[in-house]
Amino acid sequence: MTIWTKPASPTWRTGLGLRDAGVYYALLLLLIVLALVANAAGRPGYLSPANLGNILYQASLVGIMGVAMTVVLITGAFDLSVGSVAALAAAILVGLADGIGFVPAAGAALATAAAVGLLNGAIVNFLGINAFIVTLGTLTAVRGLVLVLTDGRSLMVENGDTLARMLAFESSRIPLFGALLVVAALLAVRACLAFIRARRVGPAIAALAVLLLALFLGRDFTVAPPVLYLAIVTTAAWFVLARTVTGRRLYAVGGNAEAARLSGIDVRAYKIGAFVVSGLAAGFAGVLFGCRLGAVNPTALQGSELTVIAAAILGGTSLFGGAGSVVKTVTGALILFTLTNGFNILNLGANYQGMIEGIVVIAAAAIYTVGGRGPRRAAGAAL
Amino acid sequence: MVTPLLLAQGVAKTFPNGTIALHGVDLALRAGRVHGLLGANGAGKSTLVKILSGALPASGGTVTWRGASARWTGPARARAAGIATIYQHVPLVPTLSVLENILLDRGGWRRDRRDQRAEVAALLARVGHELDLDALVGDLPIGARQMVAIVQALASGADLIVMDEPTASLAGHERETVYRIVRMLAHAEQRAILFISHFLDEIVSLTDEVTVLRDGRVALNAETATLDEAAIAAAIAGRSVTALSRTADRWIGAPALVATGLSVPGRLGATDITVAAGEIVGIAGLLGSGRSELLHAIFGAHPVQTGNVQLHGQPVGPSPEEAVAAGIALVPEDRAAQGYIPQFEIWKNIGLPHVGAGSWLLDPAAERGAADAAIARLAIRTPDADTIVTDLSGGNAQKVVIAKWLGERTRLLLLDEPTAGIDIGARTDILQLIQSFADDGLPVLLVSSEFSELIAICDRILVMRDGRIVAERRAGDIDEQGLILLAGGTLPTVEQAA
Repeated sequence: MTIWTKPASPTWRTGLGLRDAGVYYALLLLLIVLALVANAAGRPGYLSPANLGNILYQASLVGIMGVAMTVVLITGAFDLSVGSVAALAAAILVGLADGIGFVPAAGAALATAAAVGLLNGAIVNFLGINAFIVTLGTLTAVRGLVLVLTDGRSLMVENGDTLARMLAFESSRIPLFGALLVVAALLAVRACLAFIRARRVGPAIAALAVLLLALFLGRDFTVAPPVLYLAIVTTAAWFVLARTVTGRRLYAVGGNAEAARLSGIDVRAYKIGAFVVSGLAAGFAGVLFGCRLGAVNPTALQGSELTVIAAAILGGTSLFGGAGSVVKTVTGALILFTLTNGFNILNLGANYQGMIEGIVVIAAAAIYTVGGRGPRRAAGAAL
Repeated sequence: MVTPLLLAQGVAKTFPNGTIALHGVDLALRAGRVHGLLGANGAGKSTLVKILSGALPASGGTVTWRGASARWTGPARARAAGIATIYQHVPLVPTLSVLENILLDRGGWRRDRRDQRAEVAALLARVGHELDLDALVGDLPIGARQMVAIVQALASGADLIVMDEPTASLAGHERETVYRIVRMLAHAEQRAILFISHFLDEIVSLTDEVTVLRDGRVALNAETATLDEAAIAAAIAGRSVTALSRTADRWIGAPALVATGLSVPGRLGATDITVAAGEIVGIAGLLGSGRSELLHAIFGAHPVQTGNVQLHGQPVGPSPEEAVAAGIALVPEDRAAQGYIPQFEIWKNIGLPHVGAGSWLLDPAAERGAADAAIARLAIRTPDADTIVTDLSGGNAQKVVIAKWLGERTRLLLLDEPTAGIDIGARTDILQLIQSFADDGLPVLLVSSEFSELIAICDRILVMRDGRIVAERRAGDIDEQGLILLAGGTLPTVEQAA
């Protein structure tokens, strides 16, 4: 039999290693570098709470869609249609809000988005067509539907009351200091339990990070609602994936669909469910987008699906299914929008932006792939 | 004795993570001889093969090829030098024809197809096997694919052909074809063959010389004529093989599984089967006999199937979800493709069928506890329950797949080739385990290509052929020879199973 070389203290190494926590280090490093460069260029205040809040706000829509995309990727599928679905939801919201009011219009937008997700999931799973092809089709068709609905023009909400309610849903300011302290306290409790039970230090670091963040941002720190929605969506998705039977089965379905089926799991239901979640999340992002301006144009959010997928890849989600973390995907989205924000603040111009972002995504994927060929693979080869 | 074609001296391999796969192995392969290589899973066979075929660099020792020192930088170099390797999982291109696959490694771009066709046809005539050159490899049964791989190795003109468990997935008559070709290549064409196998009988009857690896060292190297199966088995196991004995007059309860009219179009004709509590019913059949289809139909896993399944008088719906809910457990044939989730740790794999039975929230502590208990009960060799299942050897991974169904909810156990590709030690463990399940009152339905296993532990054996049960025997009333004849020989009259 093979001689086992058990890694010393696996929890320390795996919890904080480059492969498992690399995306957090990358975000931190990026912030530090941009802060130093901004400072040197005579533009202090890069790390100001206001600017950090800005980054969070800008990343929120992609973050929300990225969380759902991660769920789809975990099940081994792929959803290219999220940008178009979000635009459709925004168009429905803006188009109907004057007639039936904000809440019913938002409901209709979400229901439509979920229906598109269901359609995607049903075609992929009942006809057995590759998800890439199906959602490439819905990407185009749904964008076409948006053009039909808007007749190619921008739509606007006319009713002042409705518009005010929509703006309040998206653009009011929410103080965060107290909430962050509460989160830090909850994390601290969890960290104690985790350390006592399993000698895990990850939660303790998270608690400390949140506490430091709260102190750094200060008492007067406020964010726009989408940041809070992103936090809630991420927490809920994390909880379901990490702590519930549904989550375990989603990972199992993506890891080996046949083994999951022969373990008595309704594989199709989980795969279709992931598409519905993705549609819903895209719809919610679209609703937020529509509320931002009270208006929508037919090319809204075009190409955002690629940013969403890039965020998931930065977060280390496997395109082959069975692995992925929503928290890391959100961190990946933050990295992308920190880059964008940095380019704007440093006046580097948009020309370099796409190039740098693309290189970052490939570099991240390279790190995950090469990092994954570590000892574990080699050990497998010996058996 | 002839100078060796290939001489390996002190070949060692240490992986970057510190795992020592080979401690220094000597191996001499001579033209005109079949050299058997055996060893338990994890003994270093695969690593040695990969080093000889250039797929892995050795960390120590020397390899001499035709009298000159050799250190190949890749499989293509070894192949060009005259070493062809046929891997266990045949890497062929399913979308290309047989002819194109056989000539896959040919360079050049202006070759006459008629030339090639004639060349391959001549090759096939030499080995005396017929293959449709224009058939797509993806449409061929696994036995025919194995033949394509062998012919591919021959077409490259190799002098040394390494065969990594070529017969593991083949049925009896297909194996005979492989044996015939191996003998022809070695004895008539003077090539050297390195033949890796778990089957002792074929090693004894086929090879001229045997090397047994154990824990990365050579445990035995001798002329086959001086050995018998027991001596080889002892070298592989390093301890005496526990013989399995059938307990006479075991307790058998009332019928538990009653399935009627089970059929899968084209694969399984209307079949009735009954298994009593505490009874082990064996199914003997060759590949394609409908044996796996029968298990899958009982489990409700076939998309198109008809028939009724009752467990302890309760009807069970035709879907895996309903089957699992009713307490039916299936250990599938292909553990990597159907048995476990490769990304999951042992404890998550073991818990998979059970999570969801209770609360929506997971209880990792309870799952780990159950997994630790299963690891202890099944003697799974692993540092802990947190090991990723793909890091385990084949036998231990198989035990994990069986452990998935150890829970109290399991009321019927269906096992499809649970000992395929597993070393003798783990094999005995698993068979004893199956016996202990039955002793606890569980009805067990066992499919195996190892008829000796069926005879050793089953109470009743059903023989399947062409999608039907063609015979039924009490295990005490039949021997291995008889089962082979019933499953693959010419039957004078097909009798109807009771």
